[in-house]
Amino acid sequence: MKKIFLAFLSIGLFQIAGAQKFIAKNGHIWFYSYTPIEVIEAHNRQVVSILDAATGDLQFNLLVKSFEFKIALMQEHFNENYMESDQYPKSSFKGKIMDPDKIDVEKDGVYPASVSGDLMLHGITKTVTTTGTLEIKGGSITAKAKFTVSPKDYNIEIPSLVENNIAKSIDIHVDVTYTLPQ
Amino acid sequence: MQRKAIIILILFIAAGIVALAVWKWTFKKSDISMASKKADVEIEAGILTQAFESNEEDANAKYLGKVIVVSGVISVISEEGQDISVYLKKDGDLSGVMCTFSPGTVDTNRIKVGNTVKIKGICDGYLMDVKLNKCSLEK
Repeated sequence: MKKIFLAFLSIGLFQIAGAQKFIAKNGHIWFYSYTPIEVIEAHNRQVVSILDAATGDLQFNLLVKSFEFKIALMQEHFNENYMESDQYPKSSFKGKIMDPDKIDVEKDGVYPASVSGDLMLHGITKTVTTTGTLEIKGGSITAKAKFTVSPKDYNIEIPSLVENNIAKSIDIHVDVTYTLPQ
Repeated sequence: MQRKAIIILILFIAAGIVALAVWKWTFKKSDISMASKKADVEIEAGILTQAFESNEEDANAKYLGKVIVVSGVISVISEEGQDISVYLKKDGDLSGVMCTFSPGTVDTNRIKVGNTVKIKGICDGYLMDVKLNKCSLEK
Protein backbone atom coordinates (compact mmCIF):
# COMPACT_ATOMS: atom_id res chain seq x y z
CA MET A 1 0.00 0.00 0.00
CA LYS A 2 2.77 2.35 0.95
CA LYS A 3 4.60 1.59 -2.25
CA ILE A 4 1.55 2.45 -4.28
CA PHE A 5 1.26 5.63 -2.32
CA LEU A 6 4.87 6.61 -2.93
CA ALA A 7 4.59 5.70 -6.59
CA PHE A 8 1.58 7.93 -6.87
CA LEU A 9 3.52 10.74 -5.21
CA SER A 10 6.41 10.41 -7.55
CA ILE A 11 4.27 10.46 -10.65
CA GLY A 12 1.80 13.04 -9.54
CA LEU A 13 3.95 15.60 -7.83
CA PHE A 14 7.55 15.32 -8.85
CA GLN A 15 7.46 13.89 -12.34
CA ILE A 16 10.52 11.89 -11.57
CA ALA A 17 12.24 10.49 -14.60
CA GLY A 18 15.44 9.02 -13.23
CA ALA A 19 15.59 6.24 -10.73
CA GLN A 20 17.93 8.10 -8.40
CA LYS A 21 15.47 10.38 -6.66
CA PHE A 22 14.85 9.27 -3.14
CA ILE A 23 11.85 10.51 -1.19
CA ALA A 24 11.14 10.87 2.52
CA LYS A 25 7.68 11.73 3.74
CA ASN A 26 8.03 11.40 7.48
CA GLY A 27 11.40 12.95 8.09
CA HIS A 28 12.29 14.05 11.59
CA ILE A 29 13.73 17.48 12.32
CA TRP A 30 14.09 18.72 15.87
CA PHE A 31 15.80 21.52 17.69
CA TYR A 32 17.26 22.25 21.07
CA SER A 33 17.83 25.53 22.77
CA TYR A 34 19.96 25.21 25.87
CA THR A 35 20.27 27.91 28.45
CA PRO A 36 20.88 27.48 32.16
CA ILE A 37 17.33 28.74 32.71
CA GLU A 38 15.42 26.68 30.22
CA VAL A 39 15.81 23.80 27.80
CA ILE A 40 13.50 24.04 24.85
CA GLU A 41 12.96 21.14 22.51
CA ALA A 42 10.54 20.63 19.64
CA HIS A 43 10.05 17.90 17.09
CA ASN A 44 8.61 17.81 13.61
CA ARG A 45 8.08 14.31 12.25
CA GLN A 46 6.35 15.29 9.04
CA VAL A 47 9.22 16.65 7.03
CA VAL A 48 9.16 16.02 3.30
CA SER A 49 12.48 15.66 1.55
CA ILE A 50 13.84 14.67 -1.84
CA LEU A 51 17.38 13.53 -2.46
CA ASP A 52 18.78 13.03 -5.93
CA ALA A 53 21.62 10.60 -5.39
CA ALA A 54 23.06 11.20 -8.85
CA THR A 55 23.39 14.97 -8.70
CA GLY A 56 23.43 15.42 -4.93
CA ASP A 57 20.46 17.80 -5.05
CA LEU A 58 18.72 17.92 -1.74
CA GLN A 59 15.48 19.56 -0.71
CA PHE A 60 13.55 19.76 2.54
CA ASN A 61 10.11 21.20 3.18
CA LEU A 62 8.27 21.45 6.44
CA LEU A 63 5.33 23.14 8.08
CA VAL A 64 6.29 25.32 11.02
CA LYS A 65 3.05 24.49 12.84
CA SER A 66 3.96 20.81 12.85
CA PHE A 67 6.71 21.37 15.44
CA GLU A 68 5.55 19.82 18.68
CA PHE A 69 6.67 21.06 22.06
CA LYS A 70 6.20 19.39 25.40
CA ILE A 71 4.54 22.52 26.71
CA ALA A 72 1.59 23.80 24.71
CA LEU A 73 2.20 27.39 25.73
CA MET A 74 5.72 27.26 24.30
CA GLN A 75 4.33 25.99 21.04
CA GLU A 76 1.88 28.85 21.00
CA HIS A 77 4.63 31.41 21.58
CA PHE A 78 6.86 29.77 19.00
CA ASN A 79 4.13 30.01 16.35
CA GLU A 80 2.63 33.34 17.22
CA ASN A 81 5.50 35.47 18.49
CA TYR A 82 8.68 34.06 17.01
CA MET A 83 8.06 32.17 13.79
CA GLU A 84 4.81 33.97 12.91
CA SER A 85 3.63 30.79 11.26
CA ASP A 86 0.35 32.27 10.05
CA GLN A 87 2.38 34.58 7.87
CA TYR A 88 5.23 32.17 7.13
CA PRO A 89 3.72 28.68 7.32
CA LYS A 90 6.62 26.89 5.65
CA SER A 91 10.31 26.51 6.03
CA SER A 92 12.57 24.94 3.45
CA PHE A 93 16.10 24.02 2.54
CA LYS A 94 17.40 23.69 -0.99
CA GLY A 95 20.97 22.56 -1.35
CA LYS A 96 23.50 20.12 -2.61
CA ILE A 97 25.70 17.33 -1.33
CA MET A 98 29.21 18.46 -2.24
CA ASP A 99 30.60 15.27 -3.71
CA PRO A 100 27.80 12.90 -4.63
CA ASP A 101 30.24 10.77 -6.65
CA LYS A 102 31.70 9.41 -3.44
CA ILE A 103 28.34 8.00 -2.44
CA ASP A 104 27.42 4.68 -3.93
CA VAL A 105 23.75 3.94 -3.30
CA GLU A 106 24.27 0.37 -4.42
CA LYS A 107 26.73 -0.31 -1.64
CA ASP A 108 25.67 -0.46 1.99
CA GLY A 109 27.69 1.66 4.35
CA VAL A 110 27.99 4.97 6.14
CA TYR A 111 29.23 7.85 4.02
CA PRO A 112 30.21 11.26 5.36
CA ALA A 113 28.70 14.15 3.42
CA SER A 114 28.98 17.91 3.40
CA VAL A 115 25.94 19.87 2.43
CA SER A 116 25.51 23.47 1.50
CA GLY A 117 22.40 25.34 0.50
CA ASP A 118 19.76 27.94 1.22
CA LEU A 119 17.73 27.71 4.36
CA MET A 120 14.49 29.67 4.32
CA LEU A 121 12.73 30.33 7.57
CA HIS A 122 10.62 33.17 8.87
CA GLY A 123 10.62 34.46 5.28
CA ILE A 124 14.37 34.98 5.21
CA THR A 125 16.85 32.94 3.20
CA LYS A 126 20.44 32.37 4.31
CA THR A 127 23.18 30.00 3.23
CA VAL A 128 23.87 27.13 5.56
CA THR A 129 26.73 24.63 5.37
CA THR A 130 27.09 21.53 7.46
CA THR A 131 28.39 17.99 7.51
CA GLY A 132 26.46 14.85 8.18
CA THR A 133 26.26 11.20 7.33
CA LEU A 134 24.36 9.12 4.84
CA GLU A 135 23.75 5.53 5.78
CA ILE A 136 22.84 3.24 2.96
CA LYS A 137 21.18 0.01 3.92
CA GLY A 138 19.30 -2.27 1.60
CA GLY A 139 18.25 0.46 -0.81
CA SER A 140 17.14 3.03 1.73
CA ILE A 141 19.19 6.06 2.78
CA THR A 142 19.19 7.57 6.25
CA ALA A 143 20.57 11.08 6.36
CA LYS A 144 21.67 12.59 9.63
CA ALA A 145 23.01 16.07 10.17
CA LYS A 146 23.22 18.85 12.69
CA PHE A 147 23.66 22.56 12.24
CA THR A 148 23.04 25.71 14.18
CA VAL A 149 21.03 28.79 13.40
CA SER A 150 20.81 32.05 15.22
CA PRO A 151 17.30 33.52 15.59
CA LYS A 152 18.79 36.99 15.03
CA ASP A 153 19.92 36.05 11.50
CA TYR A 154 16.34 35.32 10.54
CA ASN A 155 14.86 38.48 12.05
CA ILE A 156 13.31 36.61 14.93
CA GLU A 157 13.01 39.10 17.72
CA ILE A 158 13.24 37.81 21.23
CA PRO A 159 11.91 40.18 23.88
CA SER A 160 14.52 41.21 26.43
CA LEU A 161 12.38 39.72 29.20
CA VAL A 162 13.02 36.19 27.96
CA GLU A 163 16.33 36.91 26.25
CA ASN A 164 18.20 34.63 28.60
CA ASN A 165 15.71 31.78 28.25
CA ILE A 166 16.38 31.26 24.58
CA ALA A 167 19.79 30.27 23.24
CA LYS A 168 21.61 32.62 20.88
CA SER A 169 22.32 29.73 18.61
CA ILE A 170 19.91 26.85 18.30
CA ASP A 171 20.93 23.31 17.37
CA ILE A 172 18.91 21.81 14.58
CA HIS A 173 19.02 18.05 14.09
CA VAL A 174 17.97 16.21 10.97
CA ASP A 175 17.16 12.51 10.73
CA VAL A 176 15.46 11.49 7.52
CA THR A 177 15.05 8.09 5.92
CA TYR A 178 14.59 8.02 2.17
CA THR A 179 13.29 5.27 0.00
CA LEU A 180 13.12 4.97 -3.73
CA PRO A 181 9.59 5.37 -5.04
CA GLN A 182 8.56 2.28 -6.93
CA MET B 1 5.57 28.10 69.57
CA GLN B 2 5.68 24.67 68.04
CA ARG B 3 2.07 25.01 66.99
CA LYS B 4 2.89 28.24 65.21
CA ALA B 5 5.68 26.51 63.34
CA ILE B 6 3.33 23.77 62.23
CA ILE B 7 0.74 26.28 61.00
CA ILE B 8 3.40 28.14 59.03
CA LEU B 9 4.59 24.88 57.55
CA ILE B 10 1.05 23.95 56.50
CA LEU B 11 0.57 27.39 54.96
CA PHE B 12 3.79 26.99 53.01
CA ILE B 13 2.71 23.59 51.67
CA ALA B 14 -0.72 24.93 50.76
CA ALA B 15 0.87 27.86 48.93
CA GLY B 16 3.12 25.41 47.13
CA ILE B 17 0.18 23.31 45.99
CA VAL B 18 -1.73 26.35 44.76
CA ALA B 19 1.34 27.60 42.87
CA LEU B 20 1.81 24.19 41.26
CA ALA B 21 -1.85 24.01 40.26
CA VAL B 22 -1.73 27.48 38.69
CA TRP B 23 1.49 26.57 36.89
CA LYS B 24 0.00 23.35 35.52
CA TRP B 25 -3.15 25.10 34.48
CA THR B 26 -1.36 27.88 32.59
CA PHE B 27 0.99 25.59 30.78
CA LYS B 28 -1.53 22.94 29.89
CA LYS B 29 -4.44 25.17 29.07
CA SER B 30 -4.15 24.95 25.31
CA ASP B 31 -3.41 21.27 25.49
CA ILE B 32 -6.98 20.18 26.07
CA SER B 33 -7.79 17.37 23.75
CA MET B 34 -9.22 18.18 20.35
CA ALA B 35 -12.25 16.06 21.12
CA SER B 36 -13.61 18.73 23.43
CA LYS B 37 -12.88 21.67 21.14
CA LYS B 38 -15.51 23.17 18.95
CA ALA B 39 -14.77 22.99 15.24
CA ASP B 40 -14.40 26.21 13.27
CA VAL B 41 -15.13 24.58 9.94
CA GLU B 42 -16.70 21.38 8.67
CA ILE B 43 -15.60 20.38 5.21
CA GLU B 44 -15.19 17.50 2.80
CA ALA B 45 -11.58 16.30 2.30
CA GLY B 46 -11.62 16.83 -1.46
CA ILE B 47 -12.90 20.38 -1.18
CA LEU B 48 -10.31 21.27 1.45
CA THR B 49 -7.48 19.87 -0.65
CA GLN B 50 -8.75 21.67 -3.72
CA ALA B 51 -8.82 24.95 -1.82
CA PHE B 52 -5.10 24.57 -1.03
CA GLU B 53 -4.23 23.38 -4.52
CA SER B 54 -5.91 26.24 -6.31
CA ASN B 55 -4.82 29.08 -4.02
CA GLU B 56 -2.58 28.22 -1.14
CA GLU B 57 -2.37 31.74 0.21
CA ASP B 58 -6.14 32.15 0.46
CA ALA B 59 -6.54 28.70 1.94
CA ASN B 60 -3.86 29.42 4.53
CA ALA B 61 -5.66 32.58 5.57
CA LYS B 62 -8.88 30.63 5.87
CA TYR B 63 -7.81 27.36 7.48
CA LEU B 64 -4.35 27.67 9.05
CA GLY B 65 -4.40 26.94 12.78
CA LYS B 66 -8.16 26.34 12.71
CA VAL B 67 -9.95 23.35 14.18
CA ILE B 68 -11.44 21.53 11.23
CA VAL B 69 -13.77 18.56 10.95
CA VAL B 70 -12.96 16.84 7.70
CA SER B 71 -14.92 13.98 6.16
CA GLY B 72 -13.54 11.59 3.59
CA VAL B 73 -12.60 8.09 2.60
CA ILE B 74 -9.54 6.46 4.17
CA SER B 75 -7.05 5.55 1.44
CA VAL B 76 -3.93 4.79 3.49
CA ILE B 77 -3.25 4.10 7.17
CA SER B 78 0.36 4.48 8.23
CA GLU B 79 2.20 4.04 11.48
CA GLU B 80 5.42 5.86 12.25
CA GLY B 81 6.68 4.95 15.68
CA GLN B 82 3.79 5.71 17.99
CA ASP B 83 2.00 8.02 15.60
CA ILE B 84 -0.87 6.80 13.50
CA SER B 85 -1.75 8.74 10.38
CA VAL B 86 -4.80 8.40 8.22
CA TYR B 87 -4.76 9.65 4.67
CA LEU B 88 -8.11 10.80 3.31
CA LYS B 89 -8.16 10.76 -0.45
CA LYS B 90 -10.65 9.82 -3.13
CA ASP B 91 -9.53 7.68 -6.05
CA GLY B 92 -8.43 9.92 -8.86
CA ASP B 93 -7.60 12.91 -6.67
CA LEU B 94 -3.98 14.03 -6.75
CA SER B 95 -3.57 14.68 -3.08
CA GLY B 96 -5.63 14.49 0.06
CA VAL B 97 -5.69 15.24 3.76
CA MET B 98 -3.12 13.65 6.07
CA CYS B 99 -4.52 13.35 9.59
CA THR B 100 -2.09 12.51 12.38
CA PHE B 101 -3.33 11.18 15.70
CA SER B 102 -1.46 11.63 18.93
CA PRO B 103 -0.11 8.33 20.29
CA GLY B 104 -2.78 6.20 21.88
CA THR B 105 -5.71 8.45 21.08
CA VAL B 106 -7.31 6.51 18.29
CA ASP B 107 -9.38 3.35 18.34
CA THR B 108 -7.75 1.41 15.50
CA ASN B 109 -10.82 -0.81 15.17
CA ARG B 110 -12.72 2.16 13.87
CA ILE B 111 -10.31 3.01 11.08
CA LYS B 112 -10.21 0.79 8.03
CA VAL B 113 -9.11 1.52 4.49
CA GLY B 114 -12.18 2.35 2.42
CA ASN B 115 -14.24 3.58 5.37
CA THR B 116 -15.79 7.00 5.33
CA VAL B 117 -14.86 8.89 8.48
CA LYS B 118 -15.09 12.30 10.09
CA ILE B 119 -11.90 13.52 11.72
CA LYS B 120 -11.29 16.62 13.78
CA GLY B 121 -7.87 18.25 13.97
CA ILE B 122 -5.82 21.43 13.71
CA CYS B 123 -4.78 22.45 10.23
CA ASP B 124 -1.00 22.93 9.97
CA GLY B 125 -0.97 23.86 6.29
CA TYR B 126 -0.23 22.30 2.93
CA LEU B 127 2.85 20.32 2.01
CA MET B 128 2.15 17.87 -0.80
CA ASP B 129 -1.06 17.25 1.08
CA VAL B 130 -3.13 19.09 3.68
CA LYS B 131 -1.92 18.33 7.20
CA LEU B 132 -4.19 17.98 10.19
CA ASN B 133 -2.55 17.39 13.54
CA LYS B 134 -3.72 16.37 17.03
CA CYS B 135 -6.60 14.58 15.40
CA SER B 136 -9.54 12.81 16.98
CA LEU B 137 -12.15 10.61 15.41
CA GLU B 138 -15.65 12.08 15.32
CA LYS B 139 -18.66 9.94 16.08
